Amino acid sequence: MSTRRHFLKLGAAAAMAPAVVSAQSAGAGRVVVIGGGFAGATAARTLKALEPKLTVTLVEPNPVYTSCPFSNSVLANLREIGQQQFRYDGVKRAGVMVAETSATAVDADAKAVTLADGNRLSYDRLVMSPGIDFNWTAIPGYDEAAAQKMPHAWKAGAQTVLLRQQLQSMPDGGLVVMSAPANPFRCPPGPYERASLIAYWLNIWKPKSKLLLLDAKDAFSKQRLFQNGWAELYPGKIEWVPLSQGGKVTSVDPATLTLITEFGSHKAAVANVIPPQRAGAIAAQAGVADRTGWCPVEPVAFESTLRPGIHVLGDAAIMGGMPKSAFAANAQAKVCAAAIVELLAGRKAPDPILINTCYSLVAADYGISIAGVYRPTNGQLADIPGAGGVSPLEAVGGLRGQEALYAASWFRTITAEVYG
Amino acid sequence: MHRLLLPGLAAALLMAGGPARAADGPPGGPPGASSCTGCHANAKIADSVIPRIAGRKAADIVTFMREYRSGAWPSSVMGRIAKGFDDQQIDAIAAWFAAQPE
Repeated sequence: MSTRRHFLKLGAAAAMAPAVVSAQSAGAGRVVVIGGGFAGATAARTLKALEPKLTVTLVEPNPVYTSCPFSNSVLANLREIGQQQFRYDGVKRAGVMVAETSATAVDADAKAVTLADGNRLSYDRLVMSPGIDFNWTAIPGYDEAAAQKMPHAWKAGAQTVLLRQQLQSMPDGGLVVMSAPANPFRCPPGPYERASLIAYWLNIWKPKSKLLLLDAKDAFSKQRLFQNGWAELYPGKIEWVPLSQGGKVTSVDPATLTLITEFGSHKAAVANVIPPQRAGAIAAQAGVADRTGWCPVEPVAFESTLRPGIHVLGDAAIMGGMPKSAFAANAQAKVCAAAIVELLAGRKAPDPILINTCYSLVAADYGISIAGVYRPTNGQLADIPGAGGVSPLEAVGGLRGQEALYAASWFRTITAEVYG
Repeated sequence: MHRLLLPGLAAALLMAGGPARAADGPPGGPPGASSCTGCHANAKIADSVIPRIAGRKAADIVTFMREYRSGAWPSSVMGRIAKGFDDQQIDAIAAWFAAQPE
């Protein structure tokens, strides 16, 4: 990050904006960040890099962050879970204070966060990046206990390890059943990358096994690229059942590993249920989530349209055309941090441009991508017309291998920027 | 990968202000710049096939971006991204990265 100082015009700001003075007298301002994923950790350290006088506190109960990007490679035995894990030492070295506890309440009027350890943090600006929580009532039978039998593995960590263990101990010939939710949800291409890499692994270790992917929608991200890859690499191995052909799971029976749809029931040897989601629970408590369960924000500084002074980033937020990805979360956080520096200094944040790039692996050495460029349009982040799109359907010159290498390089780069 | 620079382009960039403009702009760089470091590492990191752009000549970055955008220089993802930026925006991003430590 740049170490360029941004000098505050103290005299002018003090004369024109009394509210700014109190923030400056507290040492340029206090920012609290809730949640230490790709969005929150990026926001916290970018704030310190842009304005070292800020007091920045990251509230995160977990001493270790386990990255969802590349966790599908752990399922396919291409990586170990330890390679997904990052500590907050780099964030602390950047001057961020880390409160290793969870936030239990946000008082938007008093501008204070109550922590599980009993402390209370006052803020001038609050950044919330709580990620997702699961809607445990959306699929009858699928609750937290059921997730121990039918893992979601949609928050990486113990669930990822559990699903991998189940795959490894499955008899050859056993049926793997996955279910994907309707939009919106974390990582739109994720279920299809997962199906790809499980099929990749089945091909080697359980050649008689197949994978059934039950989907609550009729179309998905990078669909033609994935389906072409499946036909090319795993013919007959993956069966995708869209919504219109009975793909929506209406209930599950964890005791028998059965997934029930409107059209029938499917008994699995290994079941991976990716349930419907919403913003992390603290978002609703803070009043920044709407009736959809997600958080509406304006498109310049990503400030909540429901609670001023609170910025929401990453998967929890409704970001217009921008998908729920780690790349997007990191990009939003850098824009938000720069905007907060401007807002605390009494200036207006400039209109941003953001980029998203998401790689997916169809096999270990077969990568595909989707990209987009976004700017504020009519109160939302919208795609810039003519930009973005997916990898070409016809790959020439080793493109798929090249994109698999780019995917790995992206992961090393972004995790170094955020946690290194 | 070496490309010949277009002398006219480099001159135009110098007249547009070059790196000095980045120092007067908003924190975090001109619109779009902060997203780039998700792939193009700001710090020197080991083992990436994606080149760093911090400290590169502004004119080189401009040339690449324009050629990616037009398709004159083939790419995997950069052509799709470059199409989201006009000449002025590319110039500003290039000047910003040129002014960062190599």
